[in-house]
Amino acid sequence: MNDSKRLIIKDLKKEFNGFWALKGLNLELSPGEIFVLLGPNGAGKTTTLKLITGLLHPTQGEIFIEGINIKESPIKAKSLIGYVPDEPFIYPKLTGREFINLVASIYRVKKADYEKRSKELFEKFDIGEWIDELSEGYSHGMKQRIIMCQLLLHNPVLILIDEPLVGLDPKTARTVRETFLSLKDQKKTLFISTHTLSFAREVATRLGIINHGELKFTGTLEELAEISGRKNIEEIYLKLTEE
Amino acid sequence: MSEFLLLLNARIISFKSSVKSLNLIRILSFILVFGVFLGGAYYFFFRIFNYLLSVEIIGPVLMNKIIQMVFFIFFIMLLLSNIITSLSTFYNSRELQLLFALPIRPGAIYLAKLFENCVYASWATLIIILPLIFSYGITLRAPFQYYPLAIFSVIIYLIIPGTIATSLIFIIRCLLPKLRSRDVIFILFGLILGLTFFYIRINNPDLLKVFATENQRDLLMFAENLTTVGGIYLPSTWVGYILGTLSQGSARFHFYFLLLLSVTSTFVIIAFYLARFFYTRSWMLVGEYQSRMKKIHSVLYHYYGDAKTFLLKDILVFVREPIQWVQLGIFFILLIIYIFSLRRTPIYFTIPLWRTVVSFANFAYICFILATLGVRFIFPSISLEQYGIWLLRSSPISFARIIKIKYLFNLFVTIILIEGLLFFSNILIKTDPKFYIMLPIAAVLVAASLVSINLGWGAHYPQFNEDNPSRIAAGTGGIIAALVSIGYVGITIVILAIPAYNYLSNTYLKKPLSYPLIILSLAGFLLFNIFTIAGPLYLGIKSFQRRDI
Repeated sequence: MNDSKRLIIKDLKKEFNGFWALKGLNLELSPGEIFVLLGPNGAGKTTTLKLITGLLHPTQGEIFIEGINIKESPIKAKSLIGYVPDEPFIYPKLTGREFINLVASIYRVKKADYEKRSKELFEKFDIGEWIDELSEGYSHGMKQRIIMCQLLLHNPVLILIDEPLVGLDPKTARTVRETFLSLKDQKKTLFISTHTLSFAREVATRLGIINHGELKFTGTLEELAEISGRKNIEEIYLKLTEE
Repeated sequence: MSEFLLLLNARIISFKSSVKSLNLIRILSFILVFGVFLGGAYYFFFRIFNYLLSVEIIGPVLMNKIIQMVFFIFFIMLLLSNIITSLSTFYNSRELQLLFALPIRPGAIYLAKLFENCVYASWATLIIILPLIFSYGITLRAPFQYYPLAIFSVIIYLIIPGTIATSLIFIIRCLLPKLRSRDVIFILFGLILGLTFFYIRINNPDLLKVFATENQRDLLMFAENLTTVGGIYLPSTWVGYILGTLSQGSARFHFYFLLLLSVTSTFVIIAFYLARFFYTRSWMLVGEYQSRMKKIHSVLYHYYGDAKTFLLKDILVFVREPIQWVQLGIFFILLIIYIFSLRRTPIYFTIPLWRTVVSFANFAYICFILATLGVRFIFPSISLEQYGIWLLRSSPISFARIIKIKYLFNLFVTIILIEGLLFFSNILIKTDPKFYIMLPIAAVLVAASLVSINLGWGAHYPQFNEDNPSRIAAGTGGIIAALVSIGYVGITIVILAIPAYNYLSNTYLKKPLSYPLIILSLAGFLLFNIFTIAGPLYLGIKSFQRRDI
């Protein structure tokens, strides 16, 4: 086992009623890396993220987070993860603040850390007084901002995000980009699944392209450009995902 | 009409898909549980009807009155349940945004939603009515055509409360769009219960009195006077007549059937036109007012950093959902009425033996009430995490811990409720002192088992895509949880009846006490409860942990 790796995925497979959503994924991520997974709809991106977070059970394969096998020690492994699903959900009858308090409590964030970090994050994501209103009235963007706050409040080392920019206004999208880059500098590892190619180009230290449940290629943008013979990220993506 | 059929077809396809997704074991367990319930309920009604048929003078009359009374009570219950489900079906459902954006006429949306609402609000009632219809027909040796025609008539009957409830809601929401859901529920519940009370009082004041006579003539007159249970102008009475005339093969059936059919059609047409005028308007107005939010500073405004937060979250979500506490409030009011109705027991039952029998029957009744409360409020608690389950599943908190928090809290509330009810009812009944001590001890185990059954089954059969707790409880999983809970209470009563009977025979009839039988029964009860407490929770946790989210 390579202890310096933050995330190790070995021969990960997932079957849904005879359909193989993931066909043997192998991947290793290091601290300070932003890995962006690209692929068409139904390629297996969300399934991969859900398997890492424990929302799905693998049909085969193993996942290690900081050397901890998620199947053997799920609670220990999950305390190191921060996850944002593709459809952010906040309990409709809770306010944004109540939801954040709930998440921080589940992750057992210390009160002093909570006070400090929540203040910073509320400022960073431009959280207004609406945080004390019921979330059932929030827009998609408001929910995304609350979800980003809860994600970073417990200071995870491995951050998994499914479609981070959906519903965000340009200003918040820029904040998210800057936040991700600063997290990389803090040696956090980010695993992002997205369709937004420009975002991938701006933040990724390494890209992965998945199609039909198979990781077709991984590498830097330059490496992928070399393999595909294309320079533009859109052209690289289309070339590498074509049938 | 074609638009309505199109929307209806979408519902049917969706239902078929959900049925197809069930595996064989689950289908077989559904069939088994439903079969046992239907068989048990049939036997229960059959025994009652057979007994009544054998009672001279008053028996056959009472049999018909019971049928009318049952359908009258169901009518009121269905009105109330339709009001609660309508608010989410017609205003909060997520698909409404899409439906109103499509080129579909509001009338078609209304009819499709009315169908959905009637199914959700009424199918549990129909499950109870079926054995009633069959036992009534078999007791009276009804002809074959009785069964399909009786079921068809009841289905037509179940539509009426849906049309009334939706029409009232549309009008209130259009006239007073600022009202919150809970206020609308309060107003309509007050209106319906008030009108029902006055209607009974004016039509049949005898119904509200306790009858006491040994004179046959008085008895017959009393039974005949009950003809107007709910009055001849109510559909519940017509359904009673339909069943009665059908079972005798009388031609008068046609009159009552056509009367029911035409009145139901009239209600649907009136509701349809009211919906065309009020529904879209009220939906938009409610949406506008709901988007104006208010700041909230609750107990969870502060950060605690421990498991208490999770519990507080559950309480806050409950308190802020009017459907939840309004129904709980109704349960409480009915329970208080029940407890106060017991105050006359020592007057009617002067012999201590009968008071003790009544106290045991009261214990059984309270257990059945708690079984119902458990299905309605505890069973949906896992499903109500909705898509928030991604948070719980991906975070460092085990599902067993979540279940533990929910279990202990629900157990605490249930014990308070059951012990409170037993305490006050036993005081009013003037129960035997030994029963004072024994029943509350047994009640703790009953509470622990009922909470476990409902929580465990709720984890085994969650519905994260449904946000209405009434619908979750009325879904397939909820119905099975109800049947299992009722089955548990039934077995409990049978086991506890053995030592109770032995004790009563000894105390009042001077028969010898059988200690081995008492000890064996109590040990059996304890073992049974160990199984019913640990089993459902264990299975629920295991099933949930294996589940893909």
